[in-house]
Amino acid sequence: MKQDILLCGVGGQGILSMAYVIDHSAMEAGYYLKQPEVHGMSQRGGAVQAHVRVSDQPIASDLIPLGSAEMILALEPMESLRYLPYLSMEMGWLITDITPFVNMPDYPDPSSIYACLFQLPRVQLVNGFHLARKAGSPKAQNMVMLGASSCQLHYPPPMLEKQIAQLFARKSERLVHINLNAFRTGRAVSDFHRVLVEAGVPVGLAARVLPWLDFDPWPVPEAVSGAWIEFFKSSRVCEVLDVMWSKQEVFPLDPEVPGRLLKDIQ
Amino acid sequence: MNRQILLGNEAVARGAIDAGISGVYAYPGTPSTEIFEYIRSRSAKENLGIHARWSTNEKVAYEEALGMSYGGLRALVSFKHVGLNVAADPYISSAISGIHGGLMLAVADDPSMHSSQNEQDSRFYAGFAQIICYEPADQQQAYWMTREGFDLSEKLKLPVMLRLVTRLAHSRSIVTLTEPRRQNQASLCPDTSWWTLLPSNARRGFDRLLNKQGELRELSESHPANHLTIAGAGKPGIIAAGVTNGYLREALGERIAEFNILSLGFYPLPIEKIRQLIEQSSEVWVLEDGYPFIEQQLTGAGLHKVPKVKGKLGGDLPRSGELTPDLIGAALKCSKNPAVVLPGVESVLKPRPPVLCEGCPHSDTFQVIREAIRGYSDVRIMGDIGCYTLGFYKPHEGLHSCICMGASIGMAAGLSHAGFSPVICVIGDSTFTHSGLTPLLDAVQENTNIKVFVLDNSIVAMTGGQPTMVTDGEVVRLLAGLGVPGERIRVIKPLPRNLEENVRIVREELQYRGLSVIISRRECVTYYKEIKTAKSNRQGELR
Repeated sequence: MKQDILLCGVGGQGILSMAYVIDHSAMEAGYYLKQPEVHGMSQRGGAVQAHVRVSDQPIASDLIPLGSAEMILALEPMESLRYLPYLSMEMGWLITDITPFVNMPDYPDPSSIYACLFQLPRVQLVNGFHLARKAGSPKAQNMVMLGASSCQLHYPPPMLEKQIAQLFARKSERLVHINLNAFRTGRAVSDFHRVLVEAGVPVGLAARVLPWLDFDPWPVPEAVSGAWIEFFKSSRVCEVLDVMWSKQEVFPLDPEVPGRLLKDIQ
Repeated sequence: MNRQILLGNEAVARGAIDAGISGVYAYPGTPSTEIFEYIRSRSAKENLGIHARWSTNEKVAYEEALGMSYGGLRALVSFKHVGLNVAADPYISSAISGIHGGLMLAVADDPSMHSSQNEQDSRFYAGFAQIICYEPADQQQAYWMTREGFDLSEKLKLPVMLRLVTRLAHSRSIVTLTEPRRQNQASLCPDTSWWTLLPSNARRGFDRLLNKQGELRELSESHPANHLTIAGAGKPGIIAAGVTNGYLREALGERIAEFNILSLGFYPLPIEKIRQLIEQSSEVWVLEDGYPFIEQQLTGAGLHKVPKVKGKLGGDLPRSGELTPDLIGAALKCSKNPAVVLPGVESVLKPRPPVLCEGCPHSDTFQVIREAIRGYSDVRIMGDIGCYTLGFYKPHEGLHSCICMGASIGMAAGLSHAGFSPVICVIGDSTFTHSGLTPLLDAVQENTNIKVFVLDNSIVAMTGGQPTMVTDGEVVRLLAGLGVPGERIRVIKPLPRNLEENVRIVREELQYRGLSVIISRRECVTYYKEIKTAKSNRQGELR
């Protein structure tokens, strides 16, 4: 087992907490671990990243070599693109929140960022900020995103949940609850995506619907997944997705929704 | 077996605790801050009774540690690389006086200047003082080197340096801990002439230091951190210092067996091992993070005939910035893993430098200054080190220099001497007590025509919310004590609704020809919890 993950986002978004959960899960699973991170000036709203390297063999370098990351897990869409040179061409997944964090005057048009993301072979797009708010706090965006990566991680979700509970127990029971809720909501996104892909929906296409569904904590009702699998058999999928991205409206997890969307386009 | 996930900094801290330190002395500075913070928090939780209180600056920290060593106890000093410039005076002389209780200096260098104004290499300081320097390759080494360093410090009666770089200081890994050692019993060194560096004593002390150099070199030759592997005569050779060991192994993979390798983690240099490596190898690469410290000694600045050395000086590796597995891999012609390429991504990506937080009092202060100097031409605002250095950027553009801790006031005075008026400078509360008091005293004596803004936000914010030495009314009393006339000490509260009033106050001071100090006082919005704790602790102590 060997997994290199690059976590990234904007200073203050909670990357170190994500790293904490993965680190401690890795130690519990008996793996080796190296995890460099950014402290200091960049934490004031600058671009930040952490490398998380886990392996069943000793790890030589703290830094992930270019082209070797199995996953970029990002809390911000433009930041997710900053570290592409690290992402392995052969197996790299990019999992990102689509919510722009605008603290700079020249932030690009988000649609140009999305256009880049749509070209990636293995991508998962998540409305993390929205789902975190729904789970109880926008600050839990990082745990939504961690949950959204859970199908790609080498640890069973209960193991990760145990570390989340431990991390937030220092603060309050309420925060433990919110963050577990957030993680499970993210896990629903990850699992839903996996189910679609296993049913033959292309990865990138399935990714494009994810941000516009109002996920609840895992699991996703089978009827909902089934309805969306059917949806992707239609020839007009792309048109519907384009409308969804232009309207940016979030739809309930209702098996009726995909059919209705197809009907509306006709 | 006790295994823990620790930052490189925390591994050093744990090593010091387990070596039985009785005190830790430090001034906050990235990438070193967590060393002190870990010890303070563990000492409180585990009831270890280690003296842990931030010092006013690095020189003070070093002197306090030296005093504890004088009393026979072990002490750790920690700060960032530029902090050693501040502490250089006691540091250099403490190698001549020698020490009593073990004294270690953990200094964190910042190659690539992630959070610093330069990337100076502390190994030169170790050579300068002629003491031992450890350079750990990973977190586990950081732990045991710190433990061992204290023993060696007491054995040699010398301070010992441990040099970290940002990547190790701020990287986590699993560290196996060993049984902790008890703290020393306090005791005095019988011979006070060691510690009293009058010329006659200092000459003897310097001789003692010089006479130890042979022993230090022998230690280096046999030290396990300096490990030589000869794969075969005529094969290419590599010297890998500290963290570059990991990068090298990452880059070479199985090809590592084709190289003669000297892993280096203990200075002074093991000259015999290096000689052996050079003799056995077709060429010698020098991999070191920071300045070409080793390479320069090998090549003798080009005077010696060692044609086969490759590294930073000859341009085979970049001269600035930290090394990475990719840079080393490229230099050694290793194959690269293909990465995802997206055409057009460059046009979407914009740099995202750090910014002042929303609602930050510094933003309001910069606005007040901007408004107040409207109408004056060529106004320069001398800056200092802290969050407010970000005032250089748009939209503030309210800071025109930043050299080192405390430089704002002295430079403002010099600029005033050069004939410019008005001259303004800005300095944070903690930077002010660190290095701003002495230049201000100069300005008081001369009544220099400068306008000093003390930005009192009640916390050391840039490094993560450490308590300040003075805040609120204490700043006023301190200024008055230095001799700033009461009517020239003005206090403003930087809030948007006070803009007009604040500008009026500053304009009044701009019209006065002489020294004015304007305290711009409002608590940091990010560390309000830490400020509350610090202030309530403080009241408890003052009572």
